[in-house]
Amino acid sequence: PRGRGAPRGRGGAGAGKTNAVVVEPHRLEGVFIARSGAKDVLVTRNMTPGISVYSEKRISVDSGETKVEYRVWNPFRSKLAAGILGGVEAIYIKPGAKVLYLGAASGTTVSHVSDIVGPEGLVYAVEFSHRSGRDLINMAKKRTNVIPIIEDARHPHKYRMLVGMVDVIFADVAQPNQTQIVALNAHNFLKNGGHFVISIKASCIDSTAEPAAVFAAEVNKMKTEKMKPREQLTLEPFERDHALVVGEYRPAAKKTA
Amino acid sequence: QMASLYLLYESAVGYSLFATDETAGIALDSPSIQEAAGDLAKFGKVVKFKAFAPFKNLQDALENINAVSEGLLPDLLKTFLETNLPKAKAGKKSGLQLGVADHRLGTAITEAIGFPTTHVDPVPELLRGVRLHFPKMQSQVKGEAISKSQLGLGHSYSRAKVKFNVHRVDNMII
Repeated sequence: PRGRGAPRGRGGAGAGKTNAVVVEPHRLEGVFIARSGAKDVLVTRNMTPGISVYSEKRISVDSGETKVEYRVWNPFRSKLAAGILGGVEAIYIKPGAKVLYLGAASGTTVSHVSDIVGPEGLVYAVEFSHRSGRDLINMAKKRTNVIPIIEDARHPHKYRMLVGMVDVIFADVAQPNQTQIVALNAHNFLKNGGHFVISIKASCIDSTAEPAAVFAAEVNKMKTEKMKPREQLTLEPFERDHALVVGEYRPAAKKTA
Repeated sequence: QMASLYLLYESAVGYSLFATDETAGIALDSPSIQEAAGDLAKFGKVVKFKAFAPFKNLQDALENINAVSEGLLPDLLKTFLETNLPKAKAGKKSGLQLGVADHRLGTAITEAIGFPTTHVDPVPELLRGVRLHFPKMQSQVKGEAISKSQLGLGHSYSRAKVKFNVHRVDNMII
């Protein structure tokens, strides 16, 4: 038997080379895929090496002289991760981006968004529940690109002193009037030509209607608020009756030839 | 040239006052504001920086945001406006207005200092432009300092929210 503390290699020739993991950039900038054998997982580059936010796995990879650490991003716990694995075309959340995140909850997905935008980016994380808000604040203590805002997303004027103009609004607020909430925040804080990424849970809007009809109705509401939906995808198999809608706010008028 | 529409912009670093001097033209033509707002060179011609009152420290900023987010007028803001807005002639319609983001704060300002306020078109569009270009429209604070102040103030504002709203009564012994 192996002695205590011995490396858990597979033994045989070349022992000491344990579970080689290769991390490759995802098509979406700032997102990565960790490949080891048959299993590929979604990861983000940890802004705070050595620290997990919600007991997620960390993967350390040699990069020349230094080590780079990544955190595993679970699509069953994050609708944004589910959308990425579902093949969303673009999320606009990328290194250096400023993001207004509505419905930040305890900050698990926010922490990955913080990894993606990196030290040059910013995440304004709005959450109304005080219970989750405490976890959000604690997470933000270690991540200086996350600005926690414990306030009601339905009243953006209450936090207008804390927020600058942003490139992207991400929303997961699970409110029947979610689209209006996003629109109100966009009118205040989203740049012309900025983007929105909204996770819609059909049963939160209307628990009796067909999900497809609910999504269509929400997309129609967006169009009346200068929000141009560009992409819609289901979050199956990770979430049931959820859709992710990505679009552009006040797109530049097309120049007529 | 006399400005007729002033703009109040509240941020994590302090209060700022801006003025527009082509009000007549732009007020009627909102799409042109939207287009100009994206371009600092154009926007800066329409909206000019007038004055700035910084918060002294984090505690000062916290007291101010707590009042402003509830539509109340803090002393620092009252003094700032009294000092920097033109004096309206008593009993005479001056045509001067102060554009504000929140109508409740507007009402509080009018009641306290008698200056007329407005929060309707074109004010929201103009304030979007100010929010976008603020770091470059004045020389007092740089963009990085603004983000730092947002971070510090976001933490203290939010900490206070979860601390004082947990269905718990702290009985003060006086």
